[in-house]
Amino acid sequence: MNENPLILEMRGITKEFPGVKALSDVTLEVTRDSIHSICGENGAGKSTLMKVLSGVYPYGSYDGQIIFDGREMKFRNIKESEQAGIAIIHQELTMIPELSITENIFMGNELTKSGLIDWNEQRRRTVELLKKVGLSVSPDTLIKHLGVGQQQLVEIAKALSKNVKLLILDEPTSALNEDDSANLLELMRGLKEKGITCIMISHKLNEIAAISDAVTVIRDGQTVESYEVVAGQVDENKIIKSMVGRSIENRYPEHTSNPGEVIFEVKDWCVEDPEVEGRMVCKNSSFYVRAGEIVGFAGLMGAGRTELMRSLFGRNYGIYKSGTIKLKGKEVKLTSVEAAIENGIAYVPEDRKNLGLNLLDSIKKTIVSANMKKILTGGLLDSAKELAASEEYKKALRIKCKDVGVGVSTLSGGNQQKVVLSKWMFTEPDVLILDEPTRGIDVGAKYEIYKLIHELADQGKAVIMVSSELPELLGVVDRIYTIFEGSITGELMASEADQESLMKRMTVTSA
Amino acid sequence: MQKRKIMAMMLSVVLATTTLVGCGSGREGSTNTSDEKKTEATTQDTASDSEGEATETATATEGFEEGATIGVSLPWLGTQNWKEAETMFTEELEKAGYKAIVQAADQKVPQQQQQIESMIENGAKVIVVGPIDGTQLGSVLEKAKDAGVYVIGYDRLIENTAAVDGVVQFGSVRTGELQGQALLDGLKAEKGDGPYNVELFGGGPADPNAPNFFKGAMSVLQPEIDAGNIVIVSGQTEFTQCATEDWDNAKAQKRMDSLLAGNYSDKEIDGVLSPNDGIARAIVTACEDAGQPNPVVTGLDAENESVEWVWQGKQYCTVAKPTQDLVAKSIEIINSLQKGEGMPATDVATDNGKIEVPIYELDPTVVKKDNIKEVFANDPDRMALLKD
Amino acid sequence: MKVIKKVLGEDLRQYTMVLALVVLILVFNIISDGRMLTSSNFQNLLSGNAYVLILALGMLMVIVIGQIDLSVGSVAGFAGMVMAKVAHDFNLNWFVAVLIALAIGALVGAWNGFFLAKLGIPGFITTLGSMMMFRGLVIWISQSISVPAPDELRFFGAGYMPEWGPAFTGMNNSTLLLGIIGIVAFIYFELRKYKHSGEISGQKQPMWAVVTRIVLVSAIIAYFTWLYGTGREGTSFPIPGLILLILVIVYHIITQKTRFGRHIYAVGGNKSAAALSGVNVSRTYFLTMMNMSMLAAVAGILFVGRSTAAGPADGTQWEMDAIASVFIGGAAVSGGVGTILATMVGGMVMAVLNNGLMLMGVGADKTQVIKGLVLLLAVAFDVYNKKTGKASIIGRLFPSKETEKK
Repeated sequence: MNENPLILEMRGITKEFPGVKALSDVTLEVTRDSIHSICGENGAGKSTLMKVLSGVYPYGSYDGQIIFDGREMKFRNIKESEQAGIAIIHQELTMIPELSITENIFMGNELTKSGLIDWNEQRRRTVELLKKVGLSVSPDTLIKHLGVGQQQLVEIAKALSKNVKLLILDEPTSALNEDDSANLLELMRGLKEKGITCIMISHKLNEIAAISDAVTVIRDGQTVESYEVVAGQVDENKIIKSMVGRSIENRYPEHTSNPGEVIFEVKDWCVEDPEVEGRMVCKNSSFYVRAGEIVGFAGLMGAGRTELMRSLFGRNYGIYKSGTIKLKGKEVKLTSVEAAIENGIAYVPEDRKNLGLNLLDSIKKTIVSANMKKILTGGLLDSAKELAASEEYKKALRIKCKDVGVGVSTLSGGNQQKVVLSKWMFTEPDVLILDEPTRGIDVGAKYEIYKLIHELADQGKAVIMVSSELPELLGVVDRIYTIFEGSITGELMASEADQESLMKRMTVTSA
Repeated sequence: MQKRKIMAMMLSVVLATTTLVGCGSGREGSTNTSDEKKTEATTQDTASDSEGEATETATATEGFEEGATIGVSLPWLGTQNWKEAETMFTEELEKAGYKAIVQAADQKVPQQQQQIESMIENGAKVIVVGPIDGTQLGSVLEKAKDAGVYVIGYDRLIENTAAVDGVVQFGSVRTGELQGQALLDGLKAEKGDGPYNVELFGGGPADPNAPNFFKGAMSVLQPEIDAGNIVIVSGQTEFTQCATEDWDNAKAQKRMDSLLAGNYSDKEIDGVLSPNDGIARAIVTACEDAGQPNPVVTGLDAENESVEWVWQGKQYCTVAKPTQDLVAKSIEIINSLQKGEGMPATDVATDNGKIEVPIYELDPTVVKKDNIKEVFANDPDRMALLKD
Repeated sequence: MKVIKKVLGEDLRQYTMVLALVVLILVFNIISDGRMLTSSNFQNLLSGNAYVLILALGMLMVIVIGQIDLSVGSVAGFAGMVMAKVAHDFNLNWFVAVLIALAIGALVGAWNGFFLAKLGIPGFITTLGSMMMFRGLVIWISQSISVPAPDELRFFGAGYMPEWGPAFTGMNNSTLLLGIIGIVAFIYFELRKYKHSGEISGQKQPMWAVVTRIVLVSAIIAYFTWLYGTGREGTSFPIPGLILLILVIVYHIITQKTRFGRHIYAVGGNKSAAALSGVNVSRTYFLTMMNMSMLAAVAGILFVGRSTAAGPADGTQWEMDAIASVFIGGAAVSGGVGTILATMVGGMVMAVLNNGLMLMGVGADKTQVIKGLVLLLAVAFDVYNKKTGKASIIGRLFPSKETEKK
């Protein structure tokens, strides 16, 4: 009876939240032993669909049918879906950092012998599982000592320990660097061969294109398209078109910069790692940015891009060792974030939720938070000025919200990023540093952010953009520096660069 | 800017009027208006006029109706005597026809302050106060005075205020005298002829009674010390030297240990003045540990364990301060006030820092092995302890 | 329902705790045959609880930055004791003694702040240490003996505003003036807000709603003016209450209308994000802790004033009362959430409960049980409502001014 070619069928799934229809009549068919990608903008309903599938939303709270492995399933909780052979790996890793790999893998499913944990058996099996996912570390290693990519592999090993038939990966590479991502995709191919079906939710079209056997696109809670593809020959533009419901002829807006004087210049910048004495995270970095110019920084994760930017931004990171900053030709000492802001530097951090926003705050409080001096009246904050300022940015950046008084936590990723950008534009900076400004944002919103960056440059601001997506850098910026292990390894005009030439400089030292 | 100015103006106006305009007359000059509040206030004033004269004998007052509300505020219910007081006050006051509010404050001063205030709100005519800290009730008791309420201190002196009409307590100096006398008697009876080697212990310095106990005891012992019949081997005869912080038994035991180790390696100790039972037992234990023969030790409170020890002869004596007597005396005063006869006469008074407070002193009872069965004849619980 | 919303603002749930307070007062008033709502009882309510409410002001800020201060009781006791000691033993002027007490508060706060802000030791541990230290020091310097305080201090702890002016008002004219100032100020701010309301967002609030709000609030202020003003001759709105009122206004402005206030919420909401927005996190920590201990000293001074003497046990467990008020007022343990006004409502709920139960003659033991239950229920209700997305009882008195914070 297992000769049904479909391992999973979801028919007519409808899920409503108070006031919102998150999913309406969604159909998903997944072929046995395939890699099936689900794409869609943020908020399209991908995660909700997966939560329905894995039993987070129990049977009865949605309409429709789930047929898994030939039988109709009525999961009441995650435990039941796990028993049926469905495992989900979330975007945020759920490992306990202070425990070992073995302990984490068997957390909640400990093997016991006469009431006590059978450590030997657990360890033996962990070694086996780690071999399967291609990880060669001791099973007793603590999770906190693993890199993000390795942790992801342990998550998958954990899923494998439960005899999984269907593995769901929710944006598995969003926190990984290029190498680890490639590794992971390779692993997924291997799993497919071993008879494990994978569903991957991803924004990264190149990854989808590389490994998918089928693609389903969801938009506004509905299935838009679902078709089989041949891995390696996927039409990315077709996917984008169905995701946003319109065709994006060019993913990057046209723009010509008119660079002026050099207004931001860094010389021989050296910063020590605050945790490891003697380890330098920035080594004699020197670069400059002109007014009205957009400069990109390309580097793999851990190359020291973020560390460099944060140390420049009022020594927010690391231990300053040496180096100078010149603003408009004058040397400045920026020993605090406050001083950096006062001198016209703004920094939009890469980790929006943890570093960019206070999720308890409202939109208007966030927008003014980095420059409250501007809304003071007689020494006190003036709520009228605050409202006026935030309404202005709401209009200018087309922030979608009911009211600027609502909390930022109610906004989508793209709109949150617009609020963060507003906050820094409100400080009227001369130099704007954007660290991964489009991470976790859907295609439509990305386009708007790119346009905004161009506008800022047109206003004569110096813009620095850090990104690990090379096409993005090539499409948006004027000039690119590459970073490898804390050193600047190259400088290229965007018009003359391509992905290979950049990657070469990002992985080897030019010396 | 404007907002700040206005705020500042508002505040300064309030402050200015409250401080500067105090010279005006306001409602004080308006007693002849027919506002009923005013009349009420004036009658209260007459009632509280007696404040300063309370030291003299019975001031005739108006009294109050039978069945009036009487408040009793106790410090806590953590020890036997306070729990007894709570039960007795409730029972006895109700038996006498009053409406009783008996509350305990869990050793928290702010709680007791608020309880007293709520008793005033509840229209209490007399409030009996067993203070947690006798110095910290000044302003609330004055509120009581202003509302025409009589304030009677219970067991402990109320200090630092004029708003107290009298205090019912066992004479603390007298208690000390009894302790000193009992120690002397014991030494003569048990240790043959003098001179006797003796050490002295005092109570917690925060308790205003403690120095009085010591004073009383010394009034008996000092002549004997001067005559050479008693030798304080350690030479520590000042209260501050002998005091026991917080009445802490463990601290007393430590002091005794070091006294014995330092002074009695070649002597025997004959007697110890102890201010209460807990400390007495600590002393006896220390002497046992040091291999000393059992000395004559005094005590206070007739705690159950010490009653047993007295019966067994391990502790020479204790002094009983029956709660019953205190409660009975308090109610006697309340009855006198109710009838309009004012505070009963007494010839003892103590300076509490503000006024001379009339003290209604009760005599405690010395309990020794030979009279223990008589003293507790009506106390089945304690009689049960006296097994052979 | 719509009408009510127009008057009170969109967020009705913020009034749940205020409503609970009103119901509590009325119920106790009925049970106690009208002894709750009397001038003298409300005077007692304020004089007797001002010290806790003042501590709660500082504690709110400490909890908003995501810390806790366990040392406030000990610090209050220590400051009060030192004040009484220097006035008594060295015959210093009372005013100098008060200044010394405040300075001690500031110093202790700097001590706590140093360990928290500069060395990064969590506030819980830092202040646990201070709690023990200063409790010990109180006993040490006092030798467990209470010390009488200068008489002038009684004015601050239990005093009243003076009587003056014409007698026909039939009440204490200082209180009357205070009430009138309150009403006038409220009308002024409401009208000003009304004038500005349409300028930016385009929708002006209806005039009748503003008028109703003014009438409602004015009636409440007038009622309390009457209640406090018509007490026994010589009594008025109490001085500790006045001090509290001024502090509440000042701290409301600090937390809602100054950069420092915003920094407190920013640090509590997301420390790293705050640091990257130019907030000096360690300075914010330091100042908040310092402020807390200074308020603790103020509380200690008021209490000594009311008690007429400083005792060795003063301040024991006051921190717990202050913390309870803050949490009943809807603050979050994780920081970033909570307001001064809601904290005051939370504190008053505890105070009224305490007072009402005493009027009913309920003992301290049972009162403790009931207060504990109320704390737990209030917070559980809050958490439950947040989870289900229904009304939250985080009380904010005037949401029309500040609707944004949940």
